[in-house]
Amino acid sequence: MDMAAKFQDQLVFHMTGRRSGEGLAPLDARSMRPALFAGYRDLAQLRHDFPLVLLEPGIADGFVASLTVLVNHALEELAPRGIEGERLRKHVLRLERELRHALGKGGPGQLSELWAAAAARLTSDTDESVSKILALAGRTIKVDGDLVDCDQALPSRFMIHAWRHVQSQKAALFHGHLDTLQRKLSDILRAAFVHSEAGQKPAALKAAVGGMHADDFDFAAMSRLVGKNAPKDELTPGRRKRIEWALTVLKSQRFHPSKLGTAQATHEFLFDNVAGAVAAYRDRLPQVVELVKAIAVAELETRNGYNEADHDPFFEAYDENSLSPDDFALFPDYLVCIPADRNDAPENAGLMDTLSSGLPVKVVVQVTDLLEEASLGTGHFAFGVRSARLATTAMGLGGMFVLQAAASSLYRMRHRVEAGMGARGPALFSIFAGAPEAAGDLPRYLTAAAAMESRAFPAFVYDAAGGENWATRFSLEHNRNPETDWPVEPFEYADEGLQRVRSEIAFTYADFALCDQRNAEHFAVVGRDRWTASMVPAAQWLALPEREAAERVPYLLAVDDKDVLHRVIVDMRMMQATRRCMLLWHRLQEHGGIHDSHAERLLAREKAAWEAQKNAEIEALRKSAATAAPASAEAAPAPGAPAAPAAAAAEAAPEEKVASDDPWIETARCPSCNECQIINPLMFAYNDNKQAYIKDANAGTFRQLVEAAETCQVAIIHPGKPRNPSEPGLDELIKRAEPFQ
Amino acid sequence: MASPLSQSIIRLHEERHELEDYQGGVPRWCSGCGDNAILAAVQRLCRDENLAPEKTVFVSGIGCSSRFPHYMKTYGFHGIHGRAFPIAQGVKMARPDLHVFVNTGDGDCCSIGAAHWIHALRYNMNLTVILHDNHVYGLTKKQASPTSPVGLKSNTTPRGSVLEALNPLTVTLGVQNVSFVAQAVDWIPELMYDIVSKAFHHRGFSFIRVIQRCPEFLPKMFEPWLHDPGKTLLLTHDNGLRPSAELGRIYKNQRAHDPLDIHKAREIASEEDPIPVGILYQNPEVPCYEDLRGAGKPRTVEAVRKGLDAEFDKFTIWPDEDGRQRAA
Repeated sequence: MDMAAKFQDQLVFHMTGRRSGEGLAPLDARSMRPALFAGYRDLAQLRHDFPLVLLEPGIADGFVASLTVLVNHALEELAPRGIEGERLRKHVLRLERELRHALGKGGPGQLSELWAAAAARLTSDTDESVSKILALAGRTIKVDGDLVDCDQALPSRFMIHAWRHVQSQKAALFHGHLDTLQRKLSDILRAAFVHSEAGQKPAALKAAVGGMHADDFDFAAMSRLVGKNAPKDELTPGRRKRIEWALTVLKSQRFHPSKLGTAQATHEFLFDNVAGAVAAYRDRLPQVVELVKAIAVAELETRNGYNEADHDPFFEAYDENSLSPDDFALFPDYLVCIPADRNDAPENAGLMDTLSSGLPVKVVVQVTDLLEEASLGTGHFAFGVRSARLATTAMGLGGMFVLQAAASSLYRMRHRVEAGMGARGPALFSIFAGAPEAAGDLPRYLTAAAAMESRAFPAFVYDAAGGENWATRFSLEHNRNPETDWPVEPFEYADEGLQRVRSEIAFTYADFALCDQRNAEHFAVVGRDRWTASMVPAAQWLALPEREAAERVPYLLAVDDKDVLHRVIVDMRMMQATRRCMLLWHRLQEHGGIHDSHAERLLAREKAAWEAQKNAEIEALRKSAATAAPASAEAAPAPGAPAAPAAAAAEAAPEEKVASDDPWIETARCPSCNECQIINPLMFAYNDNKQAYIKDANAGTFRQLVEAAETCQVAIIHPGKPRNPSEPGLDELIKRAEPFQ
Repeated sequence: MASPLSQSIIRLHEERHELEDYQGGVPRWCSGCGDNAILAAVQRLCRDENLAPEKTVFVSGIGCSSRFPHYMKTYGFHGIHGRAFPIAQGVKMARPDLHVFVNTGDGDCCSIGAAHWIHALRYNMNLTVILHDNHVYGLTKKQASPTSPVGLKSNTTPRGSVLEALNPLTVTLGVQNVSFVAQAVDWIPELMYDIVSKAFHHRGFSFIRVIQRCPEFLPKMFEPWLHDPGKTLLLTHDNGLRPSAELGRIYKNQRAHDPLDIHKAREIASEEDPIPVGILYQNPEVPCYEDLRGAGKPRTVEAVRKGLDAEFDKFTIWPDEDGRQRAA
């Protein structure tokens, strides 16, 4: 078979998706995977950021830690550098591997328990010293919590844990403040009682002294003495009523769980559907209003700043419509964690309305399938027109926090997640948890990472409160190579002659689709003997001009389960979906200021204008050089000369002098030392900043002006000329005044 | 922490204060004393920040400068010699909601109170501290102070002082946890106000050394600097002082200095002529002691009783069932 015939078969497949001829084999996505995945057969053997420890509250600062990082820290602390620590490192790292394996088989559990169990398994047939080493390493890790892997349950577990972490911090602040207010209000009531008639009765005085010396005093006599002029109640009825009401409301609040555990059951803020959360929010609004008012009244009362005439009407008019986002910030945020299969359910139909209305609701949407067929049918890729593009749509609404991420990158984006959970107002977290069973035995971590790397589900953060413009609000920083169309990775393999070949390959949307068995029909495996020069990598093919692309066939590099390298050609429909994915990525890039078309157009225009101006200047210089006579060149000013008069003027201009016969003071330099006012307080006075000026020059004599100038420590008084020509001793005074004019 | 609602209500009915509202008694400082300039700058600050007089405290030790609280119509504590810092720290610890200022002199701070000064710097509590440094004990009628220059003839050094003057700036910049150090001179009121304002807004121990004239006992000491603006070096920076154009025309000797650079700050602090004026060092990241120790918890009768009981219980003897005794 000649080369032209081979290529013809490939081109037919690319155009129609139909395999003809013998050189094209069907793709089995369960055994074939993108070439870049060749090194990731068994993730349990590889140290990476998973599994994660969802930290128990109160032990460490954050809410999550990577097992790898915790083990690293423990080894840094325990194992000395060099060969001495090698044995310890080897055993602890073996235990870390064992934990990864166990987690894959048995599901999550407490780190300390899993560590102990894994250590017991590993040391059952070894010496006791290994057991001691592992136990010591376990104790060195000071934190604990559930150990979780990147599985289907991760997004909801991770997000709920982050939300609880933020809420517990908020609750601690809230309780600190509420406790202070309650104590202060109670103190006001108690002080009023102690000072009152009732508080100074014999029984009350006896109780105040205590048991040990109770018999040493005559409390009846004491009461007669100290209680003589005691007021009945030093609090006005209105104030007492307000304080008692505020105390009752503060004590009975049901929003943040009480530290003492004595309050009534607190409200639930975790929901699995939007409708439930919105209904709860509406039901609790009156309680929110009452608590906000009670806190404000308590704060005013503790400052003794409640003014009935001003504040009573204000609080009477205060209702649900008066609540601001700042008020809601005191309360727990609602968390709606929608199960993966309920995104389109009727109870979640109001999602966008809820987000756009500014309610304090954090919504977690889990996306499990990016390669679903369009709801219209017809075999077209929907490519995320539904849930996968939810975050982009929400971002368009503005006024909220939006985060889109794959489950595999949640750890790296933990600070952003925490910020989003703590943000005021609504937030949407759209998380891709990895494809379901269609991805075969590919680890979910890899599927999720592939979705992000291939730009099918790029990571981004939009924080409406992050600043005044898109540059500060929007970030693509968590994506690899955000400035390029596709991330490019180094790739090495051995060719037929077992020689090492190094290259770089891009990871495209088609590579991501190749992992899914449902897309097998869009790919065909080409035997090595049929590789032709007309085959081009898919990323390059997309960049070709249309005419040239029509003569080439795009391919991907893939490996089978024996790690043999294959070229897989891609049909036109899949390449269309890949191009669409790229265009959507371009749009996000523009949001992130990468290849901003407006900026690039402006830059090109400015550059063209600058070049035109410079060319004109060069041309003018050439002409003047050609026509200039040598004599005139001598007369021409030296370079920089024209600027000199301007500079001189600029230097001269600021030196303001007050040319006046009137006396004056450089008020801004007055250090307020009061000496001039001692001489004549009617003539000299202070302005609003307590600096002297001449209030009335006629209120005193020229002699006083001269004396003030002489005594002024900073010499800022200028006496001017005498106003009264008949003032005695003028000649001498004028002479004395000269240094100050 | 105050709720947004009460904050807005308080703002709604907030009382505005004028400069006169902060004026206490008529100052009894000597005519032309530099203390007046400091008083004027501080009163301006109180007015511009609308500080509630009942929420503001001035604490001082002993000396001319330490009469300062008498001239402010706020709370004040005219303490004992050298002990302004521990008193102010106590006030701040018990009432972190108050604005606490300390006015101290070169004798009060750098001599008898030096130990308290060093440790107050290390504690970095949120206080605004003004060291009125006139290089002499004025209240005791001209005695040499730690910052008096070599050769100064005074009642205690009739043949001239023999010791090199202590430099308060280099001392403060050598103490751990220092977070704000600035220098002002009383004869440039604009900068005095700006520095006091920066110090007030800094959260931590803001230390301002004000070089001030004593027209009574050292009338000629600063004349060369008063009459030659070139002998004053203005430290400017976006995060420090930005003098007005008008002032810039008079004081042309300026140098850009980043207040975060402590090494440069130490270099500048050692310079005496020209006198550096501005923010030498400011680090907002240094933690405050009151934050580390959770100050400001209200002490209710119950809380006090509980604390006392816990302490007494340490020494209580209870008889056991079998008649033996055990210590708590």
